[in-house]
Amino acid sequence: MIKNRRIQWIFFTVVLILSVIYLLPIYVMLVTSLKTPYEITQRLYLIPSLKPQFSNYVQAFKRIYPSLINSIIIASTVTGLATFFGGLGGYYLSRSRTRFSKVLFILVGITLYLPYQAVLIPLVQIAAKTGMALTHWGMIFSYSILNIPLASVLMGTFFFSIPRELEEAAEADGASKPQIFFRIVSPLSLPGYASTAILIFTQVWNEFLLALCLSTPETTTVQVKLAEIKGSFVALYNIQMAAALIGVIVPLLLFLLLGRYFIRGILAGALKG
Amino acid sequence: MRRFLVLLLIGLIMANVWAARELIIFHWWTAGGEREAADAMFEALHEKYPDIKIVENPVAGGGGVSHRVVLQSRLAAGIPPDTWQTLGGAELKSYVDGGYLEPLDELYKELNYWDVIPKPLANAVTIGGHPYSVPLNMHIQNILYYNKKLFEELGLKPPKSFDELISVLKAIKKAKPNMYPLALGTKEKWEAAFVLDSIILEVGGPEYYVKLYKGLIDVKKDPVFREALEKLKELIPYMYPYHASLTWDESCGLLVSGDSAMVIMGTWAIGYFQTRGWNPGVEFGATTFPQVPERILLFHPDTYGLAKNAPHPDACLDWLKVVASPELQIPTDVTQGGLFARLDIDPKNFPDPIRQELQEYVRKHPDKLILDQHGSIAPMSFTQAYWDAIAAFLVESNIEKTINNVATLFTIYNVKEEAAWYQWP
Amino acid sequence: MAKRRSAFIYFIKNWAIFLLPLLITTGFLYFMLFWTMYVSFSDWRGTAPNYKFVGLKWYRLMFSMDRFWTDFKNNIKWLLIGVLPTLFAALLIAYLLELSGSKKWEAYVRTLILYPSAMSFVVTGTIWSWMYQPDRGVINTIFDIMGLHMLRGRFITNPETATYWLILIFIWQFLGLAVIIFQSSFRSSELQSIIESALVDGASRMRILFQIIVPNIRGGILILASLLLISALKVFDIVYIVTFGGPGYSTDVLAFFMFIATFQQHLVSLGAGLSMIIFLMAFVIVVPYTIYAFRRWFA
Repeated sequence: MIKNRRIQWIFFTVVLILSVIYLLPIYVMLVTSLKTPYEITQRLYLIPSLKPQFSNYVQAFKRIYPSLINSIIIASTVTGLATFFGGLGGYYLSRSRTRFSKVLFILVGITLYLPYQAVLIPLVQIAAKTGMALTHWGMIFSYSILNIPLASVLMGTFFFSIPRELEEAAEADGASKPQIFFRIVSPLSLPGYASTAILIFTQVWNEFLLALCLSTPETTTVQVKLAEIKGSFVALYNIQMAAALIGVIVPLLLFLLLGRYFIRGILAGALKG
Repeated sequence: MRRFLVLLLIGLIMANVWAARELIIFHWWTAGGEREAADAMFEALHEKYPDIKIVENPVAGGGGVSHRVVLQSRLAAGIPPDTWQTLGGAELKSYVDGGYLEPLDELYKELNYWDVIPKPLANAVTIGGHPYSVPLNMHIQNILYYNKKLFEELGLKPPKSFDELISVLKAIKKAKPNMYPLALGTKEKWEAAFVLDSIILEVGGPEYYVKLYKGLIDVKKDPVFREALEKLKELIPYMYPYHASLTWDESCGLLVSGDSAMVIMGTWAIGYFQTRGWNPGVEFGATTFPQVPERILLFHPDTYGLAKNAPHPDACLDWLKVVASPELQIPTDVTQGGLFARLDIDPKNFPDPIRQELQEYVRKHPDKLILDQHGSIAPMSFTQAYWDAIAAFLVESNIEKTINNVATLFTIYNVKEEAAWYQWP
Repeated sequence: MAKRRSAFIYFIKNWAIFLLPLLITTGFLYFMLFWTMYVSFSDWRGTAPNYKFVGLKWYRLMFSMDRFWTDFKNNIKWLLIGVLPTLFAALLIAYLLELSGSKKWEAYVRTLILYPSAMSFVVTGTIWSWMYQPDRGVINTIFDIMGLHMLRGRFITNPETATYWLILIFIWQFLGLAVIIFQSSFRSSELQSIIESALVDGASRMRILFQIIVPNIRGGILILASLLLISALKVFDIVYIVTFGGPGYSTDVLAFFMFIATFQQHLVSLGAGLSMIIFLMAFVIVVPYTIYAFRRWFA
């Protein structure tokens, strides 16, 4: 393993500390998800239930299942749209040498800092007036608008690290920029797409306030549903935690799948230059 | 071609007929005892009008915090539901001022609703002389819940005044030094104002209370408000110290877990205790607090109105008729924890002695009701900031700062003008 | 004439498809931004829209409020303490993982610190509020079990320190992502070869980290820092779920105040003004940053 003793020590200490602070919350979640309502009131977070209620998971699943589907639909569509258009936009920002593109880059960068709460009301209005508000499209539209700039900047940074020789050669051969992009640059940029996709997917999946305003009972997302499960009257933390654990599976799966591909892609792409 | 047109016409008519009998309704009764109450409401509607299809949009979040967000966005965007849950008082007024609700004079006349509900309740939903929503219950704010078994053990009687409260707190602290006698959870901020309200009612009396929230008192010069804050300060040592991290239901949970003995909370806590296995009159008792100089009940109703430009106005009016009926109010209120809005319903419909007694009292003295913190007298803009100021007071205990803060709030949010609509008695 | 036309055609054939989506999206966002700006100068203070122009009325009110300045200070704390420690910690952890050389441990640590990113603040905020509860919370209970009673803390119920504990949640949540970004930055082969030769020359690990690695991963640091700054400035969910701005309003931040003003107090113009302030703060940070990134990209 590590040759240096001291570093080995430091490494294991760090791993231990990290393990504690990251495993503890999971433990609390698990323990809570199996409790009875009475035990929740006791607030003894570390003590497992004396009567573990596995039925909590059944209940939680029944309640969260429709919203899981909704969230998957919305997050996937937005991720697809955002990475695709983000790739396009990012390519422009990283390759075009005009003053216009430089100005645009600044303008796009600025929009990233806009707090989304500020555009909540106008977004809902736009969604309403175009009839999208009561369907999945309201959220898809809103999240796309909010995430395409981010995707553009992320992909742009990635493209920057791809050397231009290939593209210049292709252009000399008479290829147009779109052809170069789709045939040459994009396949090389899969790691970039992968990391952008992960980021955007999780952002959309975890977003709460906008989803709250734009969702209907048929189109509710996971986060809104989780808040709803907790309820306003009696906090059903046990069901909520069970539902949360179920809800986490989708993004985690995405991480595991794309994450591996992403790292492999990085190593492959990094061999160039 | 002709056949096609005829079919199309039939289809359109059918679609219209169909659409006419839908009800789009927004509320926040999503879980716990409230979900069952919502179901009870809709069942009552189905009994009377089985052809109305209910399209609900329940938005979780205590007291409608998140609900208001969604509603505001929808209203501003011009896609209102047919009807939505609102608490009467200043909250209702904000919708009326925005021009989002239809006046319901006709409906009230038809149902004779004026005569059936207490006058203060009618006042709470009447703005500028017109009623704008139909209340289905009344929640009482100033109830003191206490651990019955503990009280019996220590030979204590539920306090009726501030001084009695202090002596009870002292006795509990002495007997059980590890307990925090008075439970409190100020995470949502309004809980702190509840406690102060009870003190203000006693120190200033009901007329003062109304004047205060109508912005007619100069708190900088007024001795009563100062005295109320000082009394509140006296309670702090007996309060659960980490209240900033607890919600109202968690503060009630402190009684169940034995960490506390008393809590000042609304009637909705009854349902909470029951889901935790505590029964009224058995594990816990309740009394309105204070009962001097008079026994006043601070209340707010849950109400529903008719949206302007509602997609289905007929269905909505039918819904409102059902809301005003005992067939809806009995099962809904019993489940959800409030009192009946109608005075002609028999209090014995309640399974617990606490609400039976309260309903009887309201029947006999319908004028002893004043609007509380939730369905408030003062405008929402003031009330929200006021809650923050009082919650901050519990943490910093700075009377001067709080008085100055509150005085500023009265001015900034123009309370005198905005609250002028409220009449009491 | 022909030359300009062919330049135009060139542009359309080559760049239009890339530019259009970006322009449309950015256009929309700026449209909404200007709408918000206009509303901040209007008198919208009820549930119905009101576009009457009243100038700086709400800004003047805002600046006179104690709460606003508390928020402002809090947001600054979030920016500094949320971002810098995360960068630093992530860098060290990523480096340690590199040094460890063990795939197994790497995978373990990576999964370990990454899972919070798969969760929303609705969930993690709830759990952390249980961790922080002073009487029966997880942290204090563990201290009790270990006999370290004096370490018990008031955490988020102490108005002086509450914000810092919230920021800790933020760091905890973002650490995984940060480490991944750093790790992938380390993997560039040029960097690897420089490190190789430095090792041969006998340089110490620390030196390698700070004098060789850091200067060469500026791209990664740039991206990460931007993401963190953006998230820290806009922070809302954590405050909403864990403390709701309390105790009092010691953990209040501008985005939360904006939420309360707009949706609970119905003072939409005040909320819009607060949004503009957040945006302006971002602008002040963005400008120097963009210039830096700019030079990096187009130098």
